[in-house]
Amino acid sequence: MDLSFWILAALFVPLFPLSWIFNRLVATLPAGSAQGLAVLVLPQLGIELLHLIPPALFYPALVRHGVMVMATASALLYAVRALSARELGVWTRLVLCSGLATVWLGWSVGAPMAVLRLMALGWGLPAAVALYLTGILVRRVGGAYVGLHGGLVAVMPRMTASLVLAVLALTVTPVFPAFFMLWKGLGSVPVAWMPFWLPLIFLWGWAAGRLFQDLLFGDYRGEPVADIGGVSAVLIGLVFVASLALSLVGSGGAL
Amino acid sequence: MTLTLGDRLKVRSMVYVASEPIPRFWPMRTFIHHNPLFGLEDRPFAAAVAEGSRLFHARGYLDRLQYQEYRRAGKIDDALMRRRIGDFLDARTDLPPGLDLKAWLWQLMTGCGRFKAVEDGDFVNGAGIAAVLRDEARPVPVDDLDGALRGILKRRYGSTSPVYRHVDALFGTTIGATLDDLLTKSCLDFFDEGQSAWQAPGREAGFFLAWKELARRNARFLLRGLHLRQVLAEEETAEGIVAYVLRRLQVPEAAWQGYITRELTRMHGWAGFIRYRMGAKHYYWAQRYPADLVDFLAVRMVLGFALLQEGGRRHGTPASAPEIAALLNDAPQEAYLRHELYGGTILPAWAHEVDDALARRRPAALARIAVAYGAAKADWENRRAAQALRELAIGVGGGAEGRLAALAPAHLDHLLSVLRDWEDGEGYVWLQAMESHYIGELAACINPPAAPAPPERRPFAQALFCIDVRSEPMRRHLEALGDYQTFGIAGFFGVPLGYLEYGKGTEAHLCPAMQTPKNLVLEIPAGLEIAEEPLYDALQHVLHELKASVLSPFVAVEAVGLLFSLGLIGRTLAPLGYQRWRARLHAGKPITRLLLDKLSIEQADSVMRAVQRAMIVRALAHELRIPRDQVTDDDVRNLREVALGNEAGPSRLAQRLGMTEAAERDFLDKLRGVYRIDRAVTSLQMGRLGRIGFSVEEQVRYVMQALLSIGLDRNFSRFVLLVAHMSHSENNPYESALDCGACGGGKGLPNARALATMANKPEVRRRLRERGIVIPEDTWFVPAIHNTTTDVIELHDLDMLPARHLLYLERLRSGLGAAGRCCAAERMPLLDMPARLATEPFAAAAMARRQAHDWSQVRPEWGLARNVYAIVGRRALTEGVDLQGRAFLQSYDYRLDPKGRLLENILTGPLVVGEWINLEHYFSVVDTENFGSGSKVYHNVAGRFAVMTGNQSDLRTGLPSQTVLKNGRPYHEPVRLIAMVEAPLEFAKRTVGRIAKVQALIGGGWVRLLILDPEDDYRMHVLEDGGFYVHPRSGRDRHATRENPVLETSPCNR
Repeated sequence: MDLSFWILAALFVPLFPLSWIFNRLVATLPAGSAQGLAVLVLPQLGIELLHLIPPALFYPALVRHGVMVMATASALLYAVRALSARELGVWTRLVLCSGLATVWLGWSVGAPMAVLRLMALGWGLPAAVALYLTGILVRRVGGAYVGLHGGLVAVMPRMTASLVLAVLALTVTPVFPAFFMLWKGLGSVPVAWMPFWLPLIFLWGWAAGRLFQDLLFGDYRGEPVADIGGVSAVLIGLVFVASLALSLVGSGGAL
Repeated sequence: MTLTLGDRLKVRSMVYVASEPIPRFWPMRTFIHHNPLFGLEDRPFAAAVAEGSRLFHARGYLDRLQYQEYRRAGKIDDALMRRRIGDFLDARTDLPPGLDLKAWLWQLMTGCGRFKAVEDGDFVNGAGIAAVLRDEARPVPVDDLDGALRGILKRRYGSTSPVYRHVDALFGTTIGATLDDLLTKSCLDFFDEGQSAWQAPGREAGFFLAWKELARRNARFLLRGLHLRQVLAEEETAEGIVAYVLRRLQVPEAAWQGYITRELTRMHGWAGFIRYRMGAKHYYWAQRYPADLVDFLAVRMVLGFALLQEGGRRHGTPASAPEIAALLNDAPQEAYLRHELYGGTILPAWAHEVDDALARRRPAALARIAVAYGAAKADWENRRAAQALRELAIGVGGGAEGRLAALAPAHLDHLLSVLRDWEDGEGYVWLQAMESHYIGELAACINPPAAPAPPERRPFAQALFCIDVRSEPMRRHLEALGDYQTFGIAGFFGVPLGYLEYGKGTEAHLCPAMQTPKNLVLEIPAGLEIAEEPLYDALQHVLHELKASVLSPFVAVEAVGLLFSLGLIGRTLAPLGYQRWRARLHAGKPITRLLLDKLSIEQADSVMRAVQRAMIVRALAHELRIPRDQVTDDDVRNLREVALGNEAGPSRLAQRLGMTEAAERDFLDKLRGVYRIDRAVTSLQMGRLGRIGFSVEEQVRYVMQALLSIGLDRNFSRFVLLVAHMSHSENNPYESALDCGACGGGKGLPNARALATMANKPEVRRRLRERGIVIPEDTWFVPAIHNTTTDVIELHDLDMLPARHLLYLERLRSGLGAAGRCCAAERMPLLDMPARLATEPFAAAAMARRQAHDWSQVRPEWGLARNVYAIVGRRALTEGVDLQGRAFLQSYDYRLDPKGRLLENILTGPLVVGEWINLEHYFSVVDTENFGSGSKVYHNVAGRFAVMTGNQSDLRTGLPSQTVLKNGRPYHEPVRLIAMVEAPLEFAKRTVGRIAKVQALIGGGWVRLLILDPEDDYRMHVLEDGGFYVHPRSGRDRHATRENPVLETSPCNR
């Protein structure tokens, strides 16, 4: 019973090697909106499962350290893989897997369940938006492989702006919820682990930079394409504002 | 490997041939407007544009949508377009039946909103399109996919393209970009002209040798894994290295020429600058640090080769031409998929799958995907083509859509062929149609002079302005004020001179770029006194030194940083006030004279002595703090002799002041090194002194030629102003682009001063009188300068003005001031300033002054943008006509030129300058990124001689977008220069025929020629398609009497 909870939790709050299944599961969903919904719901489900097993502090230090090692390695692995991903959906899922792995770090140092939920939400929400927009891009352009057309901002400014917000939020840029949650969740992790996280944050930023370079700059070379509506863009903006407020309040004064 | 002399010469000659199409790039301190396709001027315009587009990956015409916008604005001659369509179709034999192709092509030009009506595609064909149009099952794209793909790849990957470009295109690497970066850094190190605090060592040896020495131990290259030592050890010379690398890459010798051409044109900015240096014998930096294109190519080849090798080692990418060929031939499906993915042409839906398959390198999966992808691509391309044709047919109307659907596949292929061939030449048709419109406009506004000439009245003043288009509004407003008569003459006033300005160390060539002046003119202070350096200048000097030093900013920034902030705030918030305050702090320039007369040997020696003695006095004051009153003339003379080695030391002064031997030696070294009191330099300077000045006969010739060329041989007024021009702007690397093109991008005032000084000499006037040009005794030539940014005309050398002229000076100045304000009122609204300024000349003039001193201003003036005409003829033809600052106006009276020599001079000088300016603007508009220099906002000064985009790039050679675009749309309307010459047709044809270069330019269509024949009732003969036709709107009888447009438009005349 205990082990199966562990496995299911590591599947929904993806931890290597089960994150491979999580990734495939999300990828097989047909529409961007369905994928978005999945990345919002599944991690929360995983945290509920974690809630059913004893808290980390009841486990021996060896187990806790093992989880921390796995989570850190998992986060680094997916962050490195995201560097070479050019398909927007793949990129989003990889960064999401990388980010959600840190939830395990929070769990292993005994972060409260509410914080873990918010941590999962901090990554899940921008990933959901990014996957939703990926779906739109696939429908309108034929694919979401960045770098093919370049300069998307010139033809789809609202879409690009929304995507930029989502990517910044997903890569733990300050002011976005994942940033606060990361600080709150990992606040009790020993300082000795810091050398592993700094490269992680650096890798996320680098991956975002590469994505932007292919997405934003240069001249657009594709067919004429319609942008998303103004209302959609505003709604996406509001989602981020609301999540920001929620994380600031919900973190219980993390910062 | 040892190369024979023949091999070396072969490489050198190949580089020479390859460099021919690359335009020379002059340093930006003296920006020379030039035709970017100068090297192709021996070909007809359309052919040269096609070749230039291929070589420089640039566009030669605007896009169709922009031309359509011009058509809607009434700037396109529809009749000419229809005529060209008819001619095109008449010449073809493969027209598809049943279609009204004239209507199709007309619709394509005027109604098609796509950049290209039917996009090219690898699999587009009539059968595929027909199937889509009839909604039938699509035929299998190709039976032999491998064979078809090999064909496609062979077309795209020629043997003359650099190997690294193929690798980049097939493997998604960035070798080309990395190579450009490394080469740019190497070039910046070597060609720096004083911008860097630390200079690269060994530059005297030449570019390749200096770079080679550095490259052997360059940590940057080592860190990148570039193993250069081994390559560089193979050959000593640059030619040898080029040949060695080409052989290692296994490029077939037959392809070397093309390969070298592509390598050199890849960074044509740097290549053009090196090409300029190679030819500029007088260029100080080129003399000191020599470099040529073989060096440049060698460095590029070595770096490229090393990067390829590194790629091969690290990623297993091909590193030679045969390896690329093997991939294309043996694995065409993989190569095609690579080409599609990394070339960015892949269907987006397939990108991820193809990327994944290529990463896994499973042949079976790749083959399956290639077949499926090929079918999908063929389907997509044919659908896209069918849709484009359908849209076109709907636009044509009249059942064209039905007839299109009924076309057989073979006929659809013909239709595609017709459309593509037309589109290849469409830009040129639009261009001609636009020019035809402007030719019509000019024909309509010409005022043929009244048949019986009105009696001549002596004007209050005559003013000779540069032919520059910015002179036209000033001339118009000045003439409208009253008794002013104006003339147009090339801004160097026909006097090509090398000019050594007071306080400057290098000679400037003030003449058209294609000339080399024989005569040197020196500016010397009239006061013959050495001014003391004011405190502010000294402080500024110290701050500059601090800034330039490597270490001092670390310690000085807190101490003096605040001082810099004063300038920052002042320049930003109150540029005019700050400028006035600074001007008060600076010492003014002293009154100077030009040394114009030829020197005898004794005089030359005397000048040399005088200059060197002055330098010694200055050196004593600066270096040893010994004021003039403690030094006797004998001391100075003795010091000079000791410094030159004519007398042995110690000097008398050293003995008298008790200087140590070391101190004296140090001072003498400074005299020789810094102050150039040196035997070798003296000998060189004596040789140069022989160039100083003009003989009296030369002066007479220049004055006579200048006056006759503009038709001014009688009725001289009291003042004859020689108005040169300049511009003033802050923080603008392109400032000299706004100066005088006829003065080699310099300011024309020295030429004006020189000609005025010559023309005011009694001896010159006496000799002119003997030749029939009588200049009245009360006529005085006054040099002046027109600041085109502020529209202020400043008179010079007024201290030489005869006293009786002073009575009229106030009237002259007020007239010039009023005309300037009117000009500003006309110009300011065009610069996005408030429209009310058009009616407020004083406010407009103040705004213009602010523009000139605003360091954030990216567009201080429009410069020569919108130039379109060159009018060679009497002013009466266009007097009173508002030409909107779009015409180069060269005064000319054919009646004073029976042999056509003056016209020859005009055609070979001013007209060519006009053509270069016009085509620089033309190409900078049609392709702002490749022929132009992109946005100024991203520019950084490189080595003090050019600008780059960002921190490193190719040198940006053309004009910035702020000069030619407004709100992202062309402000300059790109048409070729329309040159109208007022002269009898046969006379003009004979004259043009005598000058091969001009004949090539006109015959090749680089300049549109119109002859306004005064002996044929002022009919305008237009040269088109190799023959002349009479313009229907020309001729004396066609011109109705019109209101003077100046009176209607000028705020100053209301």
